[in-house]
Amino acid sequence: MSAWWIVCVKELRETLRDRRTLLMMVVVPVLLYPVLLIVSEQLLLLGMRNLASDGARVAVMGEPPPELLDLVEQSPDLDLVTVLGDPERAIRLDSVSAIALFGPPAGADGTRDVTVLFDAVSDRSQRGHRELNSVLGAWRDTLLARRLSDRGLPSTFARPISIADSSIARPEEVGGYTLGRILPLLLVIIMLLGAFYPAIDLAAGEKERGTLETLLTAPVPPSAVVAGKFVTVALIGIVAAGLNLGSMLLTFQTGVLQITGVIGLEVSIPLGSVVVIFLTLVPLAVLFGALFLGIAVRSSSFKEAQNALTPVYMLVLIPAMLPIFPGIEFGPLLAVTPVAGVSFFFQQLMTGDADVVTAVLVLGSTGLYAAGALYFAAQAFGNEHVLFGTSGDDSEAARGTWWDRIKERRGAQLKPEQAMGFVALVAVLFFYVGTQLQVRLGERGLLAAEWFLLFIPAVLFVRVGGFDAHKTLSLSRPSRRGLVGALLLIAGATPAAWLIGWLQSFVIPIPWELLEGLEDLITADSAGRLAWLLILLAVTPAICEEFVFRGVLLGGTKSLAPWRFVLLNGLVFGAFHLSFETVIRFLPTATLGIVIAWAVWRTGSIWVGILMHLLNNGTIVVLASVPSLRDRFADPEAPPPLWLLPFAVIALAAGVRILRGERPDHITLPEPDENETP
Amino acid sequence: MFAPNLTMIRFDGLTKRYGTLTAVSSLTLRVEPGEVYALLGPNGAGKTTALRCLATLLAPDEGTASIFDVDVVEQPIEARRRMAFLAASMGLYERLSARELVAYFGELHGLSGDVLEDRLDELVDLFGLTDFEHRYCGRLSTGQRQRVSLARSLVHDPPALILDEPTLGLDVLSGQTIYEFIARERDRGKAILFSTHQMEEVELLADRVGVLRDGELVAEGRPSELIERTGATNMARAFLILVSGEQAADRNEAGP
Repeated sequence: MSAWWIVCVKELRETLRDRRTLLMMVVVPVLLYPVLLIVSEQLLLLGMRNLASDGARVAVMGEPPPELLDLVEQSPDLDLVTVLGDPERAIRLDSVSAIALFGPPAGADGTRDVTVLFDAVSDRSQRGHRELNSVLGAWRDTLLARRLSDRGLPSTFARPISIADSSIARPEEVGGYTLGRILPLLLVIIMLLGAFYPAIDLAAGEKERGTLETLLTAPVPPSAVVAGKFVTVALIGIVAAGLNLGSMLLTFQTGVLQITGVIGLEVSIPLGSVVVIFLTLVPLAVLFGALFLGIAVRSSSFKEAQNALTPVYMLVLIPAMLPIFPGIEFGPLLAVTPVAGVSFFFQQLMTGDADVVTAVLVLGSTGLYAAGALYFAAQAFGNEHVLFGTSGDDSEAARGTWWDRIKERRGAQLKPEQAMGFVALVAVLFFYVGTQLQVRLGERGLLAAEWFLLFIPAVLFVRVGGFDAHKTLSLSRPSRRGLVGALLLIAGATPAAWLIGWLQSFVIPIPWELLEGLEDLITADSAGRLAWLLILLAVTPAICEEFVFRGVLLGGTKSLAPWRFVLLNGLVFGAFHLSFETVIRFLPTATLGIVIAWAVWRTGSIWVGILMHLLNNGTIVVLASVPSLRDRFADPEAPPPLWLLPFAVIALAAGVRILRGERPDHITLPEPDENETP
Repeated sequence: MFAPNLTMIRFDGLTKRYGTLTAVSSLTLRVEPGEVYALLGPNGAGKTTALRCLATLLAPDEGTASIFDVDVVEQPIEARRRMAFLAASMGLYERLSARELVAYFGELHGLSGDVLEDRLDELVDLFGLTDFEHRYCGRLSTGQRQRVSLARSLVHDPPALILDEPTLGLDVLSGQTIYEFIARERDRGKAILFSTHQMEEVELLADRVGVLRDGELVAEGRPSELIERTGATNMARAFLILVSGEQAADRNEAGP
């Protein structure tokens, strides 16, 4: 018997004995889920019957024509009552559902104004509004017919076009479409919930209980232990999602729900599609299983793992939710986007629109991500620092006040978690306070936000925190060679970012309203205005943002592998430039962030970063300010000029080559955490 | 029962660092078949790190260790077959019964079928697990858990035992079970290396003692020799003298 299989069987046995997992895996989908649906359906039907059983209480105020009053009284769905006093108050008190308020008698044009007063947040009032409108409409048609007849015109005179809808979608397609919007999210949630606790229990739980040491002294390679645990977590995720899928489809398809008849929804998903949906769950389960396991094993306790996994869980839900939103076109980019690809593919399968190319893209990319996640998990199980490392911080925390600790730490090395924590804090501050400053003070608010919420906190953090400012903020002067390399690099990177922005405009919609506002902001009509814009949009961010990102963040994460901290720096920098309206700035900004971070690391000088940032932003401001250049360069849908690209490539290559030759003393191999203790 | 000319447990200049901190420095020691060796030292002296290196859980930075002449770095899987490691936590799987847990480790050591069942019956008798062998480990008392841990460690009947503070947190009765276990396994010719803070169990069980201070082996010898060398009246006093550095010369005397 293979070792991984022995581990897997044991883990499955233990997991199936855990009530919490069983509840999430079996009870919820098989029992609770259909029961919940049926109960909610019954409640809905009950509510609808209650609403429909009595006539809606309505009133007519003003000077209504007796003819209309007769129509209202004759309607079986309406119950005419008299309202004295404030009509709004009567509706609020629920003594009447809707009131038709008649304006003054018809003028010369023969039109009578009628306002129907109702409460849009009350089901009862909405029904009254609907029924009253229907009677008013009938009365209007009667009047119209009478006028036409008086003039000897046929009733079709006022109806030159007769419109009828006819959807080509078969009823089951409509059902699949409707269900396809919510089912992917539901399956992903169930799969995540199913894998969540087992992953924590099998990794962090094992560490917390002290069984991991014993297990790893058994004569089996760590890879077999990882494989056994991972297969268990993935299997539980698959079973949970599979049971949920089966239970949900059976609930719909056996016609248990009368609601399908009531709302006209028919669900008939081909068996082949169900099988493919189930098979698609496998790489997704592999991805979640490996990802959760890899994160959980890096935590030292169940609680810590729970804290670490919850944000991941929330993040995964975002791409899973995408099919719910209308208007998002499912293309190749979304197909290879983790989780989103599978979510959209589920939807296609439900409506019978799936094709082989999409299937290959989705399954292939998900498989690749899963393999990456598995590697991530396996690495953790083979890493003694992850498995047994303990930090000396606890003992440190017990000593003296925070100020004593800061004083003791003078000249200390900033740690990655401290740097990330600081950046998260200033980002939140910038988001809340900075936005308010901009709203209230306009451009001056933006200037204040950059200096007071980014630059000053960064300098204070390093000074008060007792960190070595020169080393942390990379305050060395660059060499001449480094400066030349950086200039060449940004000369290539700015068009590259432009190209990336243009390429992504094929996938991500461009928010024109936002861009128009931006264009207004960066367009200068005088030399004075141009100088102010350069200070506001080029000099200020170049200094303030560089101190946060290439200063504190880069300085604090240098203990990681170089490719990791450079990539991280760019991604965080890109994320900082995300806004409510759009994500279009993320990729170009992240690219620039990566390039600048790499240059600052190679040269050991933040001044290089400031210069590059200044040149990039300054170029954009100048281009947007000169009318002859603006049309050519400021259109986000326009590609960068072709002649520019070879120059950009050459500049980039030359910049990289020059900076690769820069080997200042500060570049050393990352060392393991010095606080590890036996 | 084992080849007498082979050294069972051997550390050869083993060094382990955590960043800039040297947890174990050039540790060299031997444990022969039928010998009980106690590794002493204050908290943070490097005992657990040394034992974890030997148990293949940590990779040494320099030097090596071997069990039954199998290098733990080059052949970790083979080394694990020849030793049992009992961690201080004695953690058990809460939702496996005592018998299932021992069987699980038996399977990981390559036992199966009747051989495994016979071995399980043997261990159940040896450690008196009959009354609770089918009870989940999560419902066992501390003493019962400890007996299951011992049975688990012996399931493949290895020639070398590595015990990291085996009596930590145990009452007198449970501690007695450990003493009996160690004495019995020594009589069966096994090499036993254990770490402890309990000086009475050192005097009771250990054939030889090694004292670690800041990762270095500062003294080694029979308990009676160490007591005599330090001029102390008992092992506890001798230990205090050795770890406080009063007998610095002992460091040089600590031979292979």
